Parts: sequence; structure tokens; C-alpha cells
Amino acid sequence: MVTDEIQTKVKQVISNVLKISADELSNDANFIFDLGADSMQSLELVAAFEEEFDIEMDQEKALEIQSVADAVVFIENCLN
Amino acid sequence: MSSEFEIKQENLKKIFYPESLAIVGATKITGTVPNDIITNILRTNFQGVVFPVSPKERFINAVKCYKYIIDIEDQIDLAILVFPSSVCHMALEQCGQKGIKSAIIISAGFKEVGGNGIEREKQIISIAHKYGMSFIGPNCLGVINTDPTSLLNASFARKMPEEGSIAFLSQSGALCTAVLDYAQAKQIGFSKFVSFGNKADISEIDLLYYLKNDPKTKVILLYLEEISDGRELMKAAREIIRDTGKPILAIKSGRTSEGASAAASHTGSLAGSDEIINAAFEQAGIIRCNDIEDMFNTAIALTYQPLPKDNRIAIITNAGGPGVLTTDAAINDGLKLAQFSEKTTEIYKKSLPTTANIKNPVDVIGDARADRYHVAISQALKDENVDAAFVILTPQSMTDIDTIATEICQVAGHYDKPVYTSFMGEADVASGIKILQKAKIPHYLLPESMSKSLARAFRFSQRLNFKNEEVIKERKFETNKANKILNEAIRNKRNYLPEEEAIEILKCYGLPVLDNGLAKSENEAISIAENIGYPVVMKIISDDIVHKFDVGGVVINIKNKTESKSAYNSIITNVKNKIPEAKVKGIFVTKMIPKGEEVILGIKRDPAFGAVVMFGFGGIFVEIFKDVNFRVAPLNDSEALKMIYDIKSIKILTGARGRSVKDIGSIQDSIVRITQLAVDCPQIKELDINPLIVLEEKKGCYVADAKIML
Repeated sequence: MVTDEIQTKVKQVISNVLKISADELSNDANFIFDLGADSMQSLELVAAFEEEFDIEMDQEKALEIQSVADAVVFIENCLN
Repeated sequence: MSSEFEIKQENLKKIFYPESLAIVGATKITGTVPNDIITNILRTNFQGVVFPVSPKERFINAVKCYKYIIDIEDQIDLAILVFPSSVCHMALEQCGQKGIKSAIIISAGFKEVGGNGIEREKQIISIAHKYGMSFIGPNCLGVINTDPTSLLNASFARKMPEEGSIAFLSQSGALCTAVLDYAQAKQIGFSKFVSFGNKADISEIDLLYYLKNDPKTKVILLYLEEISDGRELMKAAREIIRDTGKPILAIKSGRTSEGASAAASHTGSLAGSDEIINAAFEQAGIIRCNDIEDMFNTAIALTYQPLPKDNRIAIITNAGGPGVLTTDAAINDGLKLAQFSEKTTEIYKKSLPTTANIKNPVDVIGDARADRYHVAISQALKDENVDAAFVILTPQSMTDIDTIATEICQVAGHYDKPVYTSFMGEADVASGIKILQKAKIPHYLLPESMSKSLARAFRFSQRLNFKNEEVIKERKFETNKANKILNEAIRNKRNYLPEEEAIEILKCYGLPVLDNGLAKSENEAISIAENIGYPVVMKIISDDIVHKFDVGGVVINIKNKTESKSAYNSIITNVKNKIPEAKVKGIFVTKMIPKGEEVILGIKRDPAFGAVVMFGFGGIFVEIFKDVNFRVAPLNDSEALKMIYDIKSIKILTGARGRSVKDIGSIQDSIVRITQLAVDCPQIKELDINPLIVLEEKKGCYVADAKIML
């Protein structure tokens, strides 16, 4: 899966969980600070990424992901 | 340009009296910290404008939300940050850009969690410095100001306390909520209520200075888990007490002895951090309390009632037993039973029943009603021989509890003397206690607590009235010479100076050391002994031998040349037999000191308070009885004298049981000198003078043995 493809899917997941239009999501938007994710939504995001990409993410490290760009890099590494 | 101190004080004003505030990280979700804070602020009728900041909400509790703090057009005085710690720095950065100078960071997940949290805390400190901001927290409950001109409850506590004159500062947030609940039940109000958490920026010291000038605060309470700058804390407390007369009460938790276990000297092993805190608080005038109840018992006494001018109390009771209990407690606490004037005795004779006890403690008898209490209390307070009154009540079948409570409140208000009460029991006396609490008459469940509180109020009053007119005695010290010896030892990577070198240092500070010399041969030992004059003492000197007595390395009372020769040889033989590998530097020959009392003097460094001095009885007594005192250095002459007299066994020095009076003045002089040495020579980690032999009055004292750890 190429980076652009991962990014599109990541934005789609975030859009679904945080109920924000994918078009409004910039790559460096912070889930909490900019998008208002609460702690439950942060956990939901991790679960949704795992399901979408069929990967297992280390819970502690996954919660350090704070933006679209962070998520793309993290998932790319998992897939490789 | 304003100093950092002035900026912090200015920023603190905005924390307590903001005209506008932003809650950054606000949410609609009930039962969460940010939601509780915004609800508390809105519910308590805050006298300023509120701006919730939330990345996704449009409004909370009918108040418009802003996505970012920089979107707010108005000026903001205070930002309250409740974001998760991972993004707090981003919020604080925006606060800085917006020009906000004051913040409360409620969020946890900083230094207290270790690891990344430590870095996150450094990051927010650095952002605050960049923008000249000051903040309380992180990891705190928040701030409450009950002043009607502000009415700020920027906390997630369950309730807003009543307005009062007590300020409460706490390092623990959870304790704050417990204290609020406790105080509400006892109708105790607060002026300011602050949970300062990790004190990454604003510390208890900054808050103390702020409260110094806060007209709403009469008494300051402090709960500390860790003291980071003990000397600054002492300085602030002294200044506040001296300039404003506001008492400071403190609980310091976490009584550990980790410092003591690692120490290499007597002073080190005896000076646990707790003893040092006791000493430092005493020196600074801070009243140390054991627990919350103890603290509030004293706080209400100091807040609600005038200070006693002296320690003569009148006890008025309707039952004999509690009167006796109170008398015992009062005498143990250093109070005195007042001797009533003839006029008081006459009035009592006329007005009280013949079965009443008209002497102190006054027993108005079990069937007493409010009128009898009125006569007894008002006459006691009129009496010039009485400085304070304790009123005790036990609920008998005919006792009109509420009327008596009301009577006490009315009478107490007419006199400038403290009146404390103890309505003993619980269910029957509850309504009477409520009346007393409402009228700000201190009430105690136990007479012992009542007595302890008055004793503290009396000592505080004595401190306020003490005029220190001491003439500073001129003393000359050879600081450069002492530093040269110490620096040389450090250059040679030594961590211990034995007696002969320690004595050189003490000599530079004018401590009374004896004539001495180090002998490398039998003939040299004899020659030194003859120069000094008999009798002399000889001791082995070796870095490998700490306890000289144990290896037969000391011979005392050597009276002539033959004994000198024999002593020299026996020491060398003993040491060779017991520790053959010891590298011997020589034999130290000193003048034999006449018999006297052995005391110990020492220095140690405390991480929070710096140089600390110890005084106590020497020899084996120091280990068994631990009758020692500590003070934070330096000390002046009167402080040194008080330190000596505070020892439990002081009578040994003042001539108990036919003993001669010892030269206390010479110990006092030695204490002042070593505290100055401790301040001037930070290379000294620990110093032990054990023993210092004290001779009879006017005959001085002498250092008999000393060692220094570097």
C-alpha cells in the first residue's frame, strides 16, 4: 500500500470516528488539540486503525500518535 | 524593569482576581474535570467574563465556545488548562501568543509520572518563561477565591467554601477536597484555597508572599509533601510573621530517615529530615501540626480569638472531672491556672451556690444554667489575673445547652481575651456546638485540644512581642586559611579529615582547641609532651582507624617522661596487633583536659535547609538518649543559648543534684562559631566535635576530639 493510499484511509477513519469531514483534515491537525478527541475517542481511533489496516498496534505507542501524519508513519511501519 | 518576584506577584493577582478567564479544554461531558470546573465557575457567580475553549463544542452551559484561545478577541487575564498533558504545551504556547500572563494547569501526567512526564513539565516551564507567564500546577485541583469581588471557584472541588480569613495552600489536591468537606461541617470559611500540585512554577513561597499582602487572609495553613527550598521558606515565614503578625501553620508529611541512614557521623545519623524540619519551623515561627484536625484546632483559635497576653487561664466547668483533665492538660502544655483576685472570689461567693468550687477551676455545678455560666465567665474575664478562659460543659438533664452556648458567645464578645470552649459529648451538645461555631467561638471535642491550641497561641504571641535587641558580638575568623586546608584536601580527593587536621580548621574559627603536636617517634612524643606540660593524652593517628579507643589507640593522663615512653610504645604495639595493615601517621599528643561534662557539637548538610547544627549530651548518651537539638545555621548568641536550654537534660549543666554549674557561655560561643564555619566553608559535609568538654563556670570548654567529612 502506498503512502497516499494509507493517508486517504487514515483520514476516512478519523472522519468516521470524530465526525469531521475528511476534506477538513490537514495532515498536521492534532487529534486532541485541534479536533477535540477525548480519551475514549483516542482509543476508538486506535481500534478503527487496527480494523481498517488489519494490523495490531501497541496500545501505549499507538496513543502517542497525535496527528494524521503520525498515524500514516506508524501504520506504514506496521505494514512493512 | 520588574524583577521575577514582582512579575510573579503581579501574575498571582490575576490568578485570584481575573476579570476574564478562559477554560482551555472545556467539554460538555458531565462528570469530567473540565466540565466540573466550568460548572463550578458559572455556579459560584464569578465576577468576571468566562470563555470556554474547546476544539469541537460550539457552546457549553449556554456560553459560546472558541476553537482556539487565540480566536478570542477580548483580553484574557487567566487561562485554566485542562487538556491532556500530551497537548498542554500547545495550549500554553497559544496562551503566550495571546498575551495571557497567568495560568492554572490542572492536568496531570507531568513530573509526578516520571519518564516523558518530566520532559513535558520542562517544556511547559520553558514556554512560560518565554512569554513571562506564571502558572500554578500542573497536577492540581485548582484555585478558589471567596472574596465577593471575585467569587472564583476554578477547581473541580465539590463545593465552594464560605468566605473566611484562613488561607489554605496544599501540595495535595485530594487533601483539599477532604479539607473543604471537614471545614464545611465545622462552619470554617476560607479566604483563598490553593492546590499547587507539582509547583513547577509558582511555589508555596510565592503564594506565602502573596498572602502576606492579602487583606482577606489572617492565618495561613500549609500542607507540604516536599520542601524544595527550606531557607527561602524560612525567610518568607519570618518576614510574614514579623511584618504582619499572620500565623503560619504547616503539616509536612513524608517523615523519612533516608538522609540519616547514609550519614557517617553522629550528627548525620541523628539528624533525620524530620528533626531538621521541626527545628527550622521553630526557628522561623511556623507552627508545625501533626494532622488536619490538629491544624484546624489551632487555626480557629488564632483566627477567631485575640492572642492571650500571658498564660494564666480560668477554667469554668459544670463538672469536676473535666475540670481536672483540663487542668492537667494545661499545666503540661505550659499554661498556668490563674489566681483570682479578691474581688472575683467575693463575687463568686455571693453569686454561686455554696456547693460550687469558687477556686480555679471554677465548678458551677451540674445544675448550672446560663445565668450561672454568665457570672462565672464574665467575672473571670474581668479579672486582671486572667488572660484566657476555657469554658467546659457536660450535658446534664437540666443543662440548657443552647442558651448557655448563646450566653458564651455574647459574653466573649465583650472582652479582649480569648475564650475557648469544650462541650463534651456528641448528640446532645451538637446544636450548642453549632451556635458556638457560627459565632466563631473555638470549640473542641476534647479539653486537651483546647489547651494545646491556647498554648500555641500563647507561644505565638510571645514570639510577636519578643524584641530582639541583641548586640552582635564581633568575632574574627580565619576563613581563607580554613578554606585553603579544605580545598587542598578536596584536591587530593580526600573525604575525611582526622582529628589533627579537623582541629586546625576549628582553630581558624576560634574554637577552644588544646595545645598539641604530632609525634613520629618516641623521642618526639616525649619532647612535645614536655613542651605542652603534663598531664597529656596520646592518640593514634591513622586514616584506617576511626574508633581509636577500640584498638587501644588512646592513653590518657600521662604524667611524666617515663609514662610518655610507655604510652607511646603500648599504643604502637596495640595497633600493630589489632589492625596490622593500618597506615599509621603518628601519635597525636595533646594536653589532658580536666574533668568536665561531655557535650557534642556537629554540622550536617540538609538537601532542603543547607547547613544544620546539632548540640546534645556527648559520649554514649548521644546514641542512647538522643537528647540532641538541631538548628539551621547561622545562629546568633541568643539563638545559640536557646538551643542549649531546649535540651531535655539541661539541668546537668545548670547544677542539678549538687553538680557544679558548667560554663554554658563557652558552649554558646562555640555554637555560634561552628555555625559560621558551616556557612563559610561549604566543603564541610559533616563535622563532629565529640566530645566538647565543658568545665565549671567561667573556666571554658575544650574540643577533645573532632572529625570532618568532606
